[in-house]
Amino acid sequence: MEQSNLITYAILIPLLPLAAYFIQSAVGTRLPRMGDWVSTGAIFLSFLLATQIFSAMWGAHDPSWVVAKSWTWVDLGSAGLPVKFDIGVRLDNLSAVMLLMVTLCATLIHLFSTGYMRDHHGHPADGYRYASFFSYLSLFTAAMLGLVISDNLLTLFMCWEVMGLCSYLLIGFYRHKHSAANASIKAFMTTRVGDTGLFLGMLALFALIGSFQFEEIYKALQDGIFTDPKNSLLGFSAAAMIGFLIFCGTVGKSAQFPLQVWLPDAMEGPTPVSALIHAATMVAAGVYLIIRVFPILDVGNVLPIVAGIGGFTALFAAILAIKQNDIKKVLAYSTLSQLGYMVLALGVGNFTASFFHLITHAVFKACLFMCSGSVIYAMHHEQDMRHMGGLAKKIPFTFWSMFIATLAIAGAPFFSGFLSKDMILASVLGYGQHHGGLSWLLVVSGFVTAGLTAFYMFRLVFMTFFGHPHDHHHYDEAHEGGWNMWFPLVTLAGLSLWVVYTGHVNPFQAQGWFTQLIQPPKLPILAESVKEYAEFEHHGHVPAMIASLVVATLGIFFSWLVFGAKKIPAAKLAGIWPNFVHKAIDNLYFFDWFYIKVAIQKGLMPFAKFWTIVDDKVVDRGMVDGLGDVANVAKGTINLIDDVVVDRTFVDGFGGGIPSALGSSLKVLQNGQVQRYLSVAVVALMLLFFFLRGVLF
Amino acid sequence: MLAGLSTNLGLYLGLSAVFFAFGVLTVLTRKNAVGLFMGVELMLNGAALNFVAFQTFRPGTHDSWLHGHVFSLFIIILAAIEAAVALAIVLRVFAARRTIDPDRATELRG
Repeated sequence: MEQSNLITYAILIPLLPLAAYFIQSAVGTRLPRMGDWVSTGAIFLSFLLATQIFSAMWGAHDPSWVVAKSWTWVDLGSAGLPVKFDIGVRLDNLSAVMLLMVTLCATLIHLFSTGYMRDHHGHPADGYRYASFFSYLSLFTAAMLGLVISDNLLTLFMCWEVMGLCSYLLIGFYRHKHSAANASIKAFMTTRVGDTGLFLGMLALFALIGSFQFEEIYKALQDGIFTDPKNSLLGFSAAAMIGFLIFCGTVGKSAQFPLQVWLPDAMEGPTPVSALIHAATMVAAGVYLIIRVFPILDVGNVLPIVAGIGGFTALFAAILAIKQNDIKKVLAYSTLSQLGYMVLALGVGNFTASFFHLITHAVFKACLFMCSGSVIYAMHHEQDMRHMGGLAKKIPFTFWSMFIATLAIAGAPFFSGFLSKDMILASVLGYGQHHGGLSWLLVVSGFVTAGLTAFYMFRLVFMTFFGHPHDHHHYDEAHEGGWNMWFPLVTLAGLSLWVVYTGHVNPFQAQGWFTQLIQPPKLPILAESVKEYAEFEHHGHVPAMIASLVVATLGIFFSWLVFGAKKIPAAKLAGIWPNFVHKAIDNLYFFDWFYIKVAIQKGLMPFAKFWTIVDDKVVDRGMVDGLGDVANVAKGTINLIDDVVVDRTFVDGFGGGIPSALGSSLKVLQNGQVQRYLSVAVVALMLLFFFLRGVLF
Repeated sequence: MLAGLSTNLGLYLGLSAVFFAFGVLTVLTRKNAVGLFMGVELMLNGAALNFVAFQTFRPGTHDSWLHGHVFSLFIIILAAIEAAVALAIVLRVFAARRTIDPDRATELRG
């Protein structure tokens, strides 16, 4: 394949959904079916183009395959300023795999939405907003795809922010609901905190090397600019600072501790949006970013922080997931937890496993979310699992897809999640063995999370699909959606099988095309550490596999005991924990309380109030009113003159006849309508130009 | 084709004029204050495009001054500030009278 063709395809991939966004926004409501086929078709074409790029990469079969092209966007060199922004497209194995995954998931999610966003008679459930829903979906996907093909942090950051906007629009899609409106603002503001860090990191990076391009960054790393002592600040090397600041962006976008609060609330959006945000796009973008800047993180020794935050998030989100009764909330916390795994994997240096889990998780999580959407649709928008039960027979496609995806996320053999999670756990175990001490906490967190994941995911399956129906009215009416709703589920469930990612028959062998093609950037400066990290995985491999199988089996078994066979009453299981544990979990560890009551009300509000007082007392009273006093004195004098000289003498003298006639006719113009004034001004200006054209031009 | 475009100043000025005219039209006809401000943004950006175009096409561009570009950067920043202030006003107007139709805000009539 011609390289220039690939570049053209890569540019078209985000442009097609972007075009769909504009079409949908402009004329969406007037198109047949409100234009859902425009968005869906555009992303499907992008998917076809992505397969072309993927097959080119597959044909090359080289871990360091790169097709890149860049253009100069801004160059102030001629003005003597060292400011030059190059932007471009970079296709390598990472972006080729990512493009395929994003376009595939997004296509299926669009297709699913054409069913989910309609009511049971096939009418759009939200009237004309059906068209805007698809326009937002298109914009969201376009931004994600633009982010993936970016060869530089600048366009990546722009797409990143567009995604922030779209998440706001989509999470708050049911805007009549107060909770949805709040959730959208929360998501936007919380990610903004992380984005500030990312932006500062980018500024520091540009100040240091004068470029945003990944190639230039890697080259500068190799040249030692990042580690040069004269570029360090307060004892931290430039690489450490920039790496940490960029990681802040990931913490916000991928909802890691301590900025995780927005993601569970994001469940207020329609379910296909949750699937898109939690699987293919938004949260994946954060992990994709740190995978891209992995060399900076490694050179700057930021990886232990990354690992700590990832490991902590994985465990603490998994604990929260156990007590949720809303089917989507369980999945939300499981996303947090799995993202923690990806970040943890990168933190212990396993580049490949982190990206592997990103891809496998995207597929099975998109499947899980759409399955939950299908359940919610079947139950007429009932989301509480306590009202479900026994649905397996009613909606078999959904049940089997969800069952397979659950096995995948629980880490059962024969499914994709087993392979990627096993690689991560092997690395974590090797890391713990090598470093000892506190790093064992990571190991414990990794394995406990694996067990808990199996437990709460099967709790979801048992509560939803098995047992007796709790709401007979909804149960009797429950039925599968049309083909556009079950086809995406079945496809994604099929893609959760192990063989897709390895090409091997052996389900325990993670080594395959994926692990061969996805390798850390080949930089001499990284060579040592990458070799060391590979050792970790190698050492931990066998014990980690056995241990992860054991914990997953235990998790599933306990889940079956409690929620499947009901041998142990769930209340008894809950009773063994002290009260404060329940209180902490029910209040989400008091994070929302802390941010709103303490950080904002006690920290930011007094600050804001202080400036309000300054504004009121100093600026308004002191300056404005002070001037007013001076003016008042002057006014008194002038009034006197006005009264005696002007009014008495001139006005009264000339009489009221002519002025009052003129006044009442001009009064019509002065009607208080700003637009009328402006029209008069514009017309007057045009007439002025017309008559003075000889003089002026 | 693209090379031909980039040598023709008239096209840029035409586009800028079109932006400006659409902006004026929007400001004059919208019955929603937010739409009105969008029109103002269009006008501002039409003007900014003019600056950039003249800077790019003026003879002897290779000296070290970038007045046009810098001016348009100022316009962008001012437009952002204007939008923030304007939206705050719109919010206050809405809070006071539950509508943001500019035709209904006629306290200042003679």
